[in-house]
Amino acid sequence: MSIIQQHTAASLTDAWRTVNIDILTEDSSVNFDTSTLHPPQPEVSEADVRTLSTQVRQLLRGGDAEGALRGCLETPVYNGTDGAKEAHLQTIIEVLQSIKASDMTPLLKGIYAAPGGSELLDVLMKYIYKGMASGAPAAAGLKSPAKMTPQSTGFTQIGSRPGASNEPASAAMSVLLSWHEKLVEVAGLGCIGRTMTDWRRV
Amino acid sequence: MAAPEVHHLFHNPIADHSFSADHATLAVARDSTVELYGKAGNAFKLKDVLKGHDKTVTSVDIAPNSGRIVSCSQDRNALVWEPSPTGYKPTLVLLRISRAATFVRWSPSETKFAVGSGDRVIAVCYFEEENDWWVSKHLKKPIRSTITSVAWHPNSVLLAAGSTDAHARVFSAFVKGVDERPEPGVWGERLPFNTVCGEYLNNSAGWVHSVSFSPSGNALAFAAHDSSITVVYPSGPEQPPRAVLSVPTQLLPFKSLIWKAEDEIIAAGYDCEAFRFQGGEGGWQLVGTVESKGSAGHGEQREESALNMFRQMDLKGKVKDDTQLKTIHQNTISTIRPYEVSGGRVTKFSSSGVDGRVVVWNA
Repeated sequence: MSIIQQHTAASLTDAWRTVNIDILTEDSSVNFDTSTLHPPQPEVSEADVRTLSTQVRQLLRGGDAEGALRGCLETPVYNGTDGAKEAHLQTIIEVLQSIKASDMTPLLKGIYAAPGGSELLDVLMKYIYKGMASGAPAAAGLKSPAKMTPQSTGFTQIGSRPGASNEPASAAMSVLLSWHEKLVEVAGLGCIGRTMTDWRRV
Repeated sequence: MAAPEVHHLFHNPIADHSFSADHATLAVARDSTVELYGKAGNAFKLKDVLKGHDKTVTSVDIAPNSGRIVSCSQDRNALVWEPSPTGYKPTLVLLRISRAATFVRWSPSETKFAVGSGDRVIAVCYFEEENDWWVSKHLKKPIRSTITSVAWHPNSVLLAAGSTDAHARVFSAFVKGVDERPEPGVWGERLPFNTVCGEYLNNSAGWVHSVSFSPSGNALAFAAHDSSITVVYPSGPEQPPRAVLSVPTQLLPFKSLIWKAEDEIIAAGYDCEAFRFQGGEGGWQLVGTVESKGSAGHGEQREESALNMFRQMDLKGKVKDDTQLKTIHQNTISTIRPYEVSGGRVTKFSSSGVDGRVVVWNA
């Protein structure tokens, strides 16, 4: 029997390559709850976030920017409702916006040098990325992301950049960008790597 | 200190390299072959090409005493290459895995080797005299993902494995009839096959690239993709470890790490150079690079004349040649291994990387 006869239509196409064999394997990662691989995180409620947020605001008013920032970063919301996570992000962005550009680097260096500081800066990086990802943070407030979507066309000026309403949002974004720059200077690329690999999402 | 020995073998990535005990032979994994280089003067010349795998070879290891070479590949096979007067003779080892084999290492006793795989198992292979055959036993539970690296304890019974499920684990790979019963130690007292002696992950839990036991075997270090190294000091069987020390760094992740001595670890990876960590049970810290950058651009110092400057401007449109990294390796270092050990300390180590270079460093 020639080898050629053994070919069938199925073996000549590439269709078999698209078979997701992980589904067919009993103990593969898709048939397994990967969250059980990690120790559970304590749940943070929305009320906790609000209490913290008032405390942080008090610190800010008292001029203790570093204390305020540390306070936020020490209690990241890894396990909580979307509302709690969003509220904590707003608190952090408020703190970040209230700190002068010239104070950023010394403040970050101070935190980095303290014990456990590297971990805090990793948390900060996570929130910076989260803030950037959420499009119009802080100032845009509770503006729904749905309103933002029609702008995704890139270079078109008309309509896509409604100046007035977006102004505060882009201001917040530039704050985040400058924090990102300063943070990488202090905590290095390792900080970005940790933000990407970490399974604890804020 | 003498300058590092640089051997630029070819312009392909080196997945893994291994020196023979006398340092006269160097085996490197290149594409789907294992290339053997022999020392001729100060250079390494291609001596033999071991062809047997039909997919990328992922790892290679030379047993220091017997001279046997084991290689494993993405074709799901491992081959043991037996030296003979007429060249190396391959023996296929049935690993019984359905995904790529990723990493292989001989045990210090050289009677066994362990193969990590993408099939969520580690195949521990040993030779059965009566059948004249390499047999494999699987370490399976509780591995949840691809094994990226394995490392043997000096007693040849315990095996550490790093995985993409972000855990570094210590298993017993005790094979009856092959191994002597191990002395009870910090990792456990009774150690039947597949006993899980420890399971560790660090805070941010990146997948683990490399694991290594300290020279005494009483501590374990692993490097993860979160740019950190973590050192674990176990306190005894069934007890939480005495200390788990994580050192997050500002650098890119490390692909490979070795212990220089109980108080020093060397790690290298995506930053294209090796870094030194020092410490002990009280804490570890990054102390600096192994490479000294005094000889910027390694050796080739250009004439800094106005003529040269304008010539460069004319030729390249810029004054400085910035197409080369300041490090010796010009790309990621994928493996580092001890090269020379004296008095319990590694005095030289070798590194190989994606740039096709093998470098021997003074540790």
